[in-house]
Amino acid sequence: MITLEDVSKRYPNGTYALRDIDLHIPAGDFVFIVGSSGAGKSTLNRLLIREELPTTGHVVVDGQDVARLRRSKVPLLRRKVGVVFQDFKLLPTKTVYENVAFALIVTGHDGTTVREETDRALALVGLLPRRHHFPRELSGGEQQRTAIARALVMRPKVLVADEPTGNLDPVTTWEIIKLLVRVNELGTTVLVATHNAEIVNALRRRVVHLDHGRVIRDEREGLYAA
Amino acid sequence: MTRLLYVLAAAWHGFSRNPFMSVASTLTVALMLVLLAFFVVTDRGLQSAVALLEQKVELVLYLSDDAKISQILDLRARVEKDPAVSRVDYVSKDDALQRLKELAATRADIGPIEEIGSNPLPASLEIKLAKAQESRRVASELRAEVGGGIVTEVVDNPEVVDQLLTITRVLSIGGLVVLGMMLFVTLFIIVNTIRIAVHARRDEIEIMQLVGATDQLISAPFVLEGMLVGIFGAALALLVLIGAAGPVTTSLVKFLDILPVSLGPNFLARLAAGVFGLALLMGAGGATISIRTHLSR
Repeated sequence: MITLEDVSKRYPNGTYALRDIDLHIPAGDFVFIVGSSGAGKSTLNRLLIREELPTTGHVVVDGQDVARLRRSKVPLLRRKVGVVFQDFKLLPTKTVYENVAFALIVTGHDGTTVREETDRALALVGLLPRRHHFPRELSGGEQQRTAIARALVMRPKVLVADEPTGNLDPVTTWEIIKLLVRVNELGTTVLVATHNAEIVNALRRRVVHLDHGRVIRDEREGLYAA
Repeated sequence: MTRLLYVLAAAWHGFSRNPFMSVASTLTVALMLVLLAFFVVTDRGLQSAVALLEQKVELVLYLSDDAKISQILDLRARVEKDPAVSRVDYVSKDDALQRLKELAATRADIGPIEEIGSNPLPASLEIKLAKAQESRRVASELRAEVGGGIVTEVVDNPEVVDQLLTITRVLSIGGLVVLGMMLFVTLFIIVNTIRIAVHARRDEIEIMQLVGATDQLISAPFVLEGMLVGIFGAALALLVLIGAAGPVTTSLVKFLDILPVSLGPNFLARLAAGVFGLALLMGAGGATISIRTHLSR
């Protein structure tokens, strides 16, 4: 599903965010990307949705070289790769339902599809009863579940979560992680960049450890620290 | 359908979300368009005034007294062949005297003409030019005839012609410059209005980009919003113009009585269509500049 070949990302000021990354993530994988702040986790995520281009090497998502993608084709890539952020990025003036439906509307889906798929995604994250609430009326966990529903409503092949539990308390963190595992079980490839050692150690999933832009460890059933 | 509804709703929402800004830019666009239309009308009036004056540019060939009719007709035929010449009139010695008498009757400073025994005035050809700017060339060609044939003197008015030509040039170049500046200011206002709208909705735009909305769909509401500013501005400007058209036309016709300037319904309809089309184009263009600049960052 995702292949990085000899990927480096150097910023104009000369610092390397990523260096000589070779990484293969098959379809259906669940991967934790761990490492300290500035290790390159977010840069890796941004390469996958072509928010940034690699300085060298190839980033291939679902058979397509992201760097060779024409600008007009980028939206099609992004419909395949859903993203979730630490700060949720919900629109405060829209309800839960509207936030999720928004993704379908602006990608040109018809009214019936918008209604059906939005309800499906909200049911999956367990937010149907809260559909008419505004983000400010929700708990942090509910807000993050709304954001996950917005990503899932597009039926993406990959879900990339960048510190999805960074703003959440431990109980809510577990809720979100369980939800991501569930999404993975339904067939979506899931990448979770995180600082949270506890959940990584509890889940024993594949762990890719970044340090100063390099992969220093890639284990099938890894722990947060070696 | 859902998409279209979204675009329409978002455009209207954008326009009405910041009413002060929208009204301010609509008013400014309207004002610019009124000035522009007024300027077009004035420029048109002045241009036709100058055109009328250009028609008055003429050369006079004085002829020797012993010129034969056949020679005069021959010369006249040759002069008429020049494409810059619109018309040649023959003024005989008697005609010239008659004109002088008529002039003397209205002016006290010219003494009684009857006391002159013989007629000292020469016969002449009066040449009207179609193109004022050819005046110098025609005059110098005819001067070559002086002494050789029946032409004794060529009289023209190079300074007047030059001044006329300068006025025409200043009017048309100055007109273009002022017009260009007005268009630039209008565009600038629209670009800024939409830039503020884009800024107000940058979070929404970011999410649209993340979920895979196309640039066209992201841009559409803003382009429409720019067109709304243009349409409302044009409508307002047209109201002002329609209100002012009657009195202005009347006073212009009074003022420029002699001018063949037509400000009839046909001209006004084309002016209105022009104002509308321009407003739409500027609205869409300005908005496109703003949103595309934002998206390409």
